[in-house]
Amino acid sequence: MERQNTVWRIALLAPPLSVFAVFVIWPLFSSFIYSLTNWNGFGSDYDFVGLDNFAKIFTDKLFMSAAINTTIWMVAAIVVPTLFGLGLALLLDGKVPGGRAFKTVFYLPICLSAVIVGQIWIWIYQPDWGLLNTVLSNITGEKMRYAWLAKPDTALGSVILAWSWQQTGLSMVIYLAGLTAIPEDLLEVCEIEGAKLWQRIVFVVLPLLTPSTVVVIALSVINSLKGFDILYIMTGGGPFNSSDTLAMHMYNESFRKYLMGYGSAISVVLFLIALTIIGIYFRQLKKVDRIYG
Amino acid sequence: MFSITRRSLMLAALLASAAGGANPTFAQSGDVTISHYFTGELGLKAFNEQVEKFEQATGVKMKESPVGHEDFKTDILVRAAGHSLPDVFSYWAGARVDFIVKSSSLRPIDNMWASEKLDSVVAKPIADSATLYDGKRFLVPFNYHYAGLFYNKKVLADAGMAAPPATWDEFIALCKTLKKKGVAPVALGSKNRWPAQFWFDYLLLRTAGPDYRAKLMKGEASYDDPEVVAAMSLWKDLLDQGFFVENANADDWTDAADKVARGDAAMTLMGTWITGYWNGVGLVPGEDYDFFPFPEIKDGVPNAAVGPVDGLVISANAANPEGAEKFLAFMMSNADVQAKWAEAQGALSANVNVDPKTYNSVMQGAAKTVAEAEAFAFNYDLATTPPVAEVGLSMFTRFIDDPSKLDEILKAVAVDAKTAFKQ
Repeated sequence: MERQNTVWRIALLAPPLSVFAVFVIWPLFSSFIYSLTNWNGFGSDYDFVGLDNFAKIFTDKLFMSAAINTTIWMVAAIVVPTLFGLGLALLLDGKVPGGRAFKTVFYLPICLSAVIVGQIWIWIYQPDWGLLNTVLSNITGEKMRYAWLAKPDTALGSVILAWSWQQTGLSMVIYLAGLTAIPEDLLEVCEIEGAKLWQRIVFVVLPLLTPSTVVVIALSVINSLKGFDILYIMTGGGPFNSSDTLAMHMYNESFRKYLMGYGSAISVVLFLIALTIIGIYFRQLKKVDRIYG
Repeated sequence: MFSITRRSLMLAALLASAAGGANPTFAQSGDVTISHYFTGELGLKAFNEQVEKFEQATGVKMKESPVGHEDFKTDILVRAAGHSLPDVFSYWAGARVDFIVKSSSLRPIDNMWASEKLDSVVAKPIADSATLYDGKRFLVPFNYHYAGLFYNKKVLADAGMAAPPATWDEFIALCKTLKKKGVAPVALGSKNRWPAQFWFDYLLLRTAGPDYRAKLMKGEASYDDPEVVAAMSLWKDLLDQGFFVENANADDWTDAADKVARGDAAMTLMGTWITGYWNGVGLVPGEDYDFFPFPEIKDGVPNAAVGPVDGLVISANAANPEGAEKFLAFMMSNADVQAKWAEAQGALSANVNVDPKTYNSVMQGAAKTVAEAEAFAFNYDLATTPPVAEVGLSMFTRFIDDPSKLDEILKAVAVDAKTAFKQ
């Protein structure tokens, strides 16, 4: 019986494991191999150049600016959707007139693909007739024609805002779920004891929402590292590389400049960064588990 | 993590195709596999019609996979890496073909060229510039485009233009008149960078000449040379005088074309494919719009025309090279096929036997201009190697954003281009 089980287990696990090996393990491994070569992506002749590609990263101005942009993106991803999601969840928790409709409205963007979200926001940011400039013109009384996505100072921020708009719904839903787990009598006791609303939120609700915050931040960090699609649609890393992230930079080097070896080196570095962040995060997670688990 | 996954997927695709390396195409023997980027509504239909004619004439079956223009650049790279290139594919003549020839991914077609007597079919300037790489022929030029100043006829008539400006001074005077009338003289949609390159191409060609430009494209000259500074300074002068539309970096080329069509701007420097776009939205060539060549700037500089050449190439490991050669020869030599195709694409045929009367009046003008030009030059991103083109294309948008930084930009680009040439 036991032996038969083992056979079955292997038989059943083989297909997913082989898919995993072919589509995840092997590509990861070959990325690393390519990163040691000067392969251009075409043809079959290339030389092993050792760690040259990795050395080049340190002198690559575009890599450095992309790394800074990725950091900005990650910090914004942790702060903006988390705060907005929490705010919305607190507002919409409990009996709010039309609460369900609001929840749906705020959650909907997460169902849209990045291509659609990107296109909607391209229209919002359009300099001549876009919503943003129209609203600003009405407020200030002066004709605004600022090209949000075409100016190096605002391109990255504008994309991040669009991306945050999409991500907020997800944070909100996770926080709403967290809020339902807080016992109502606990809050009632606080109210009877004379705690003001802000005191109840800061000293009771927020600490009890820590597990939700853990999930929200984890998802935000992971989603921000994959912040490629919406950027590709909205600015393509432009104008003149000002909104490049590491993922975008890797794409440019590999597929626009045909430097597949160097592009692979960037992807290896990006992989190590992601691994480090996730490693640190899991360690922190364990601590949280010990407290709240 | 997404980036890793994305990459993984690509490499997995490579792996999967490498596994089938012994028999890279799944087509039946005798079929010819083909991939191309003619996916626009007009283009795809017309292409399929011509392919059908070929199949009927020869009995060879074609297996097609069209891929969108921008995606094609990545797609073909992935397929090459996996040794699963189609037998035939469309490609942009110039640095891109040169690049894959150097990677031994293409099959020379000298024998076919000779036996089909293509020398007497292909226009000589195109044959000279587009088909020869490392002394061998690799590409059949399927059609070509020409970049000129396409304008709204009514707007320029209102501004009192009797004849197109032939010299730089006349051009500046025209721009001044337009500006006074409250019309932006020049529309430019440089969001995707490449539309800006034609300005650099022509300004450099008209001041420093084709020989200097060829040197710059090969890395034998530097971006901080006086020649480049002079050309860019003319451009800066235009920008400083406010002759370009505001926020050009926010528009793509169709936005710029729309601005000219609506009369918000007077003209745009664009390839002949703009005629296909305008005709598609109901504008009448010769009535609503026309073009004039980029004006002369300096005496004694050979008059060059700029544009891309779309070609068909055969991959080195083609499963059916004979069928592939038959296809290339048919598509090039058959004047009827070429005429139909050029009309649908808003392109010019490289076949000298195509009757110019089959073109509309604007395209006839373009064909005449190219025929009279002393040289034909590929546009920037097809003339220089891809890593350098990336540097240059970003430079143009940066310069348009803030022309006052010209000197600083050129210095930085000179260094970056030198590094990129070494790669």
